[in-house]
Amino acid sequence: MTYPDPDDPARPARPSVRPFLQSGPHTAGGYRPAPGNEPPVDEQTTTLRPFVITSGRTDGTDPEIGMETQVTVTHAAVPVRLSPEMRAIVALCGDPLSVAEISARLRLHLGVTRILVGDLRAAGQLDVHVLDNDSPDPETIMRVIRGLRAIT
Amino acid sequence: MDFVQSPDPIRGTARVGNDQPKKAPVPVKIIVAGGFGVGKTTTVGAISEIAPLTTEAEMTSASVGIDNPGQAVTKTTTTIAMDFGVLTIDQTLKLYIFGTPGQPRFAFMWDDLIKGALGALVVVDTNRIDDCYPAVDYFERAGLPFVVGVNTFNGQMNYNLEEVRWALAVREDVPVLSFDARFRSSVRDALLVVLDQALDKAIRAKST
Repeated sequence: MTYPDPDDPARPARPSVRPFLQSGPHTAGGYRPAPGNEPPVDEQTTTLRPFVITSGRTDGTDPEIGMETQVTVTHAAVPVRLSPEMRAIVALCGDPLSVAEISARLRLHLGVTRILVGDLRAAGQLDVHVLDNDSPDPETIMRVIRGLRAIT
Repeated sequence: MDFVQSPDPIRGTARVGNDQPKKAPVPVKIIVAGGFGVGKTTTVGAISEIAPLTTEAEMTSASVGIDNPGQAVTKTTTTIAMDFGVLTIDQTLKLYIFGTPGQPRFAFMWDDLIKGALGALVVVDTNRIDDCYPAVDYFERAGLPFVVGVNTFNGQMNYNLEEVRWALAVREDVPVLSFDARFRSSVRDALLVVLDQALDKAIRAKST
């Protein structure tokens, strides 16, 4: 089922880093992202937009989703209507990509990216490859050492 | 190279055609920490196979420049922009190198950052040794293996390594070395020392 989507970009949406709440009641506690590259035009609008992207959340990022965590598209996913930002994320993750790379490529705030990736995971659109153990094992470290020694 | 990404076109729906998904590699990471302008970005760039990417975790309006040694001394507000690079070890293993500012007020971010990290390289400029104190403090408390790397900038060092060690008062088993952030082989060797520390810790953890 398709229908014209006014948001549908010709290429992945590249939302710029949007200013976030940096003052007011939200300064206390929690995740506190802040304004982006563009000079803020109007405090009111610049503080609202990221909230819209994350549906009002500034906190509650899934701790399993780290910056280096690998993300791929769920191939059995049912196509659903997604926001431009989410669509852009899904479009990037045909091959495994880290959360940090998604954030950098889409110029999306890291915190926003983590929230959206968590949402897409919950929606069955993305596979988030969580590692079994947090602390690296000696074998893995040995492989990294050998790999590094091999470069010139 | 297998992991070079090409942006897939969006095809009207949320799905992107790619029938044979690659298996996701295991990501490992090393932290590169230090004050502003000490050469973190250079370090990351020297070893990364891609041009360093930047992700923004917090920012204030007053900080426009990237690491700029001239302004660093007076900088009071700043970007938490993290530069990071990638090194593909093999198809199933990818090394991420995150460069992160060393200010104590960013500690909330470090908790996330060091989770699962192999270790850290603390980059030191001998002109401003105290810039790295927060990073050293943090990694010591967190129990993350770390190495102090004095960036030599053209081989110039105002203090020798023993003096740096004395100034930082790090434990005997914390390596203090010098390296040149501009050269890949030099950064590689510094990271190998970090990995040695990480390996020691991992083996100790396994045997207990």
